[in-house]
Amino acid sequence: MLEAVESAPASPGSKVLTPHEARIERGEPIGLVGGTAQSKRGRIQRMLEGFRDQPIRLNIDRARLLTESMQATEGQPMVLRWGRALAHILAHHPIHIEDEELLVGSAGSAGRYAVVYCELVGPGRFYTHPHELVPSKPGDPIVLTEEDVAALKEDILPYWQRNAYHTATMNALPEETRRLMERIFVVTPTAAGRSMLAWAHDYGKVLERGIGSIRREARERLEALDPIDTAAYVEQQPFLEAVCLVCDAMVAFAHRYAELARSQAADEPRAERRRELLEIAAICERVPEHPARTFREAVQSQWFIQTVSRLEQAIGGVVGNGRIDQYLYPYYRRDIDEGRLTDDEALVLLESIWIGMARSTDVYAKPGQPSLTDGFAHWEATTIGGLTPDGHDASNELSYLILRSKREFPLHYPDLAARIHTRTPNAFLHAVCETIKDGSGFPKLFCDDEIIPLLVAKGGSMEEANDYCVTGCSETKMLNREGIATGCAWINLGAILEMTLRDGRMTCYGDGIVGISTGDPRTFTTFDELWDAFTLQLENVVQHTFIQQYVSDTLKSRHIASPMFSMLHDLCMESCTDIHAGPIDKALYLGFFDVMGFGTVIDSLAAIRTLVFEEGTLAMRELIDALDRNFEGQEAIRQLCLNAPKYGNNDADVDQIGRDIEECFARLAQHHTTAFGGELDLRYVSVTSHIPLGAVVGATPDGRKAREPLSESISPSQGMDVKGPTATLMSISSTKCAQYKERAARLLNMKLSPASLVGEAGTRKLMALIRTACDMRMWHNQFNIINRDTLLAAQQDPDKYRNLLVRVAGYSAYFVDLTPALQNEIIRRTEHQF
Amino acid sequence: MTLNHQSNGAPKGLVFNIQKFSLHDGPGIRTIVFLKGCPLACMWCSNPESQSTAPELVYTSDRCIGPAECDRCATVCLEHAIAKDAEGKICIDRSICDDCGDCSFVCPSRALEESGEWVGVDDVVRIVEEDDAFYVRSGGGLTVSGGEPLVQGAFVRALLEAARSRGIDTAIETSGLCNWKTMRDVAPLTDRMFFDIKCLDPEKHAEVTGVSNRKILQNFRRLRAEFPEVNIVVRTPVIPGVNDSEDEIEAIVEFVNDAGGASAYELLPYHGFGEPKYAKLGRQYRLRHLAPPSNERMRGLQRIAALCGAS
Repeated sequence: MLEAVESAPASPGSKVLTPHEARIERGEPIGLVGGTAQSKRGRIQRMLEGFRDQPIRLNIDRARLLTESMQATEGQPMVLRWGRALAHILAHHPIHIEDEELLVGSAGSAGRYAVVYCELVGPGRFYTHPHELVPSKPGDPIVLTEEDVAALKEDILPYWQRNAYHTATMNALPEETRRLMERIFVVTPTAAGRSMLAWAHDYGKVLERGIGSIRREARERLEALDPIDTAAYVEQQPFLEAVCLVCDAMVAFAHRYAELARSQAADEPRAERRRELLEIAAICERVPEHPARTFREAVQSQWFIQTVSRLEQAIGGVVGNGRIDQYLYPYYRRDIDEGRLTDDEALVLLESIWIGMARSTDVYAKPGQPSLTDGFAHWEATTIGGLTPDGHDASNELSYLILRSKREFPLHYPDLAARIHTRTPNAFLHAVCETIKDGSGFPKLFCDDEIIPLLVAKGGSMEEANDYCVTGCSETKMLNREGIATGCAWINLGAILEMTLRDGRMTCYGDGIVGISTGDPRTFTTFDELWDAFTLQLENVVQHTFIQQYVSDTLKSRHIASPMFSMLHDLCMESCTDIHAGPIDKALYLGFFDVMGFGTVIDSLAAIRTLVFEEGTLAMRELIDALDRNFEGQEAIRQLCLNAPKYGNNDADVDQIGRDIEECFARLAQHHTTAFGGELDLRYVSVTSHIPLGAVVGATPDGRKAREPLSESISPSQGMDVKGPTATLMSISSTKCAQYKERAARLLNMKLSPASLVGEAGTRKLMALIRTACDMRMWHNQFNIINRDTLLAAQQDPDKYRNLLVRVAGYSAYFVDLTPALQNEIIRRTEHQF
Repeated sequence: MTLNHQSNGAPKGLVFNIQKFSLHDGPGIRTIVFLKGCPLACMWCSNPESQSTAPELVYTSDRCIGPAECDRCATVCLEHAIAKDAEGKICIDRSICDDCGDCSFVCPSRALEESGEWVGVDDVVRIVEEDDAFYVRSGGGLTVSGGEPLVQGAFVRALLEAARSRGIDTAIETSGLCNWKTMRDVAPLTDRMFFDIKCLDPEKHAEVTGVSNRKILQNFRRLRAEFPEVNIVVRTPVIPGVNDSEDEIEAIVEFVNDAGGASAYELLPYHGFGEPKYAKLGRQYRLRHLAPPSNERMRGLQRIAALCGAS
């Protein structure tokens, strides 16, 4: 019998909007999505009102208190100094409880804030550009008062100018290495921008044991230390003492909130709020000191750890939430089973965490100037799904509840990461795909089948590897196994190419040699000669990168310690060693360096090989001449370059160049050991650096003009992958040297048109695409499901589109908060439609 | 020029596009192989480059950087068929162009391209197989389309045989117009046939497609009678003013049911996406201002189709 099928529901040309786009087109104010959510979670709805209008208050309280304490403790063991400093901060940092809040604790003032980490170079563009430090004007996104500026300039910065880790590392570099680092954006060291790379804490341990138990452990071990065993005593005593100090300070910090809640309750006329405040007080007296008994206590305890972590140090991407659907699940399950909790109540608590994270922003404190990671981005990566430590599927009701919150909660936090593996249940993948189709860029996907075997190869146990959590934009961590990962560097592959074509020089740095002399390419008669020159330039850059990393690693513990972080880490506690002071026994040291402009350079080398050495369409002299002129008056040559074979189209010959480049890096990484006996892995995560890095690179043989952005992360050059997403994925897969373990994230952004994913059939096809990407072992994948028209309209009418979220690189941000250069770059990324 | 369509006895096909990640022409994620040549010339054809059975020069003026920057095409053209136009681009005098294709080889910007290339079965299968990881997960595979693919019956048969022998799901999109022998040979090699029935009246059919539909309807009946196991999806492109009436759709459904039914019936709304291609081939598009059927119209026709199907 004939059955009509609904294969053609909408008329062609009628535009398909994602739910996210539709809400913005309707001009809906920011709030929970759907009437039910709004009425059941009225508290969250009210807290969201006007959220995006709140200015960002720069928090210099932490900087002030830290500086005070550090000045008073000169000469003492570093871990103790930082323990005392954190205790000082926790005792004196202003605290507040906002109306409607159930979850208390903040690393800043009420509303949106940004913490100044004066000990680092990130927010401390201060060090190099103190003249740029001026009070903000009305309308600036960041609020910085005259008093703030005075305090920074007079009390805070002078101290750190003398004691900065950044200055120390730069001064300690060998001359040649420093010269290369000083050429901005060729090799960009990132060690001093964060006190460590992205990480999360073992929250589950605190929920289960309480800080009190950690304090008891430290106290017992302190008492057991044998002063006759002098070495151990001198090394371990300050660590354990710092732990005790910090534990006491954390408990007292929570008690300050309890006291504030009680005093607010005394003045509170509304009976309901009074009851809430007393409940808050009781909970703050309980956690984090003691084990959590309920879901609410667990959430509050987690949030205290996170808040203190923010005050202790700047972890890359801001501290992650770890495997939240795992460690919170026992509390959730028990409360649901015993009738103490409903899903809506659980959502209110989770969304209180999301709001807490969204209030915190990450700025480079020049008012009016956005950060290098455009859009005030930070990534408190929040992991769901994946495998249990014993290797079974880990998804549970809480995983689904968090996905539901992601669809209903309008802000770009949490930065949700779903772990996908071969046996991920269809139901979970379906919920993930429906969330992706919503169109705000969440969740990002991590492939267990790629990551777990790599972690095992690197030295993790099966159990540790199965239990990894996502941190930052695309990193992973085995929380109690890995040692410190200090930021390394962004390597500008575009610059390496330019040095190859200019005998070690770069147009933007004039006549001086930047790399090494490898000969005039106009004299090369084969592609192999060019390739040899390229690899020599590459090796030179990588060597200096490794040298600067060695210096950064070894100097770190002379400047920074993190006793709170360390006491939550099994190996640090076991060895009584601060995380920054390596090497710690049994710890795996897995750092990484980032390669930027992979697609740009593959395409450039492919163009040279095809046009100059294979077809002979162009002479090298003509090509270099055209590059010198930035293709001015050389449009025909530029077109030849643009139309040469490109990475991202599953062209085996082109992709082989990518694999050869990867092999060069991987081989160097394989032969290298870090200061702490670990490895530095090759990674392709550009965040938004491909824009500033592109700005120092002259015209390239792929047809890209001077100063334009480089290709982004592992993605093909913008708009050059024209054969659809399967070819793109195949190319990315083909460039991987899977025989090396010295590999880490390959971050992929895919832009799909909403029309291609309409209906249940569309969801199923997205599921199949993701399953296949998982079969192909794609470390990371994320999707922008959005119409190009919407992005263009948002550039024209930013007010109307101010709540439009897009996926940038490992994170989502408000499109209108991004710089025009990044907006254009996102628009130019290939949109796959079918 | 068409003599090289065989190599060592294995047929070659004239292919004008191989499109990966196609989501709407059969189950799952598919690769569509578009073959050139079609006995029909539908007024609404969205792939006009698919109609001729020879390679053709396609000119995309947007990409042309103009004779001021580049005159490579005009220089190689022995017939002087390429000249500068009023907008600083080029124009092609197709009446004297001999389709040699040399201009497309020297064009740096791909403004000039040759549509259609003779490709062997092995090469096509190799490209199709590049995406087999996606077929496995999505239930997708190969869809052969056109033009009318059965114009190149021997090639299609060899291609489908090769695909099936390698475990690839196969589908074909056909206008239904070919000799019965070809239809008979190919049908059992497909996992799914998409069979177009545009309208039932032979005169009207001739008016809008250039050919009568008698053979098409006969082929459909014989297919149903002799290959009842073949999975056939009937499709009707809904063209306003041509076949967008309830009567037309009802008549088609009745015919299909009478012939033995089909596994599904799809109505595809007309779209004008192919229009820019006509200019690229130096041709006129006859439905210039025709608007696509409204969503309401499509829903109404869907209802008719469903009602008829249920009776």
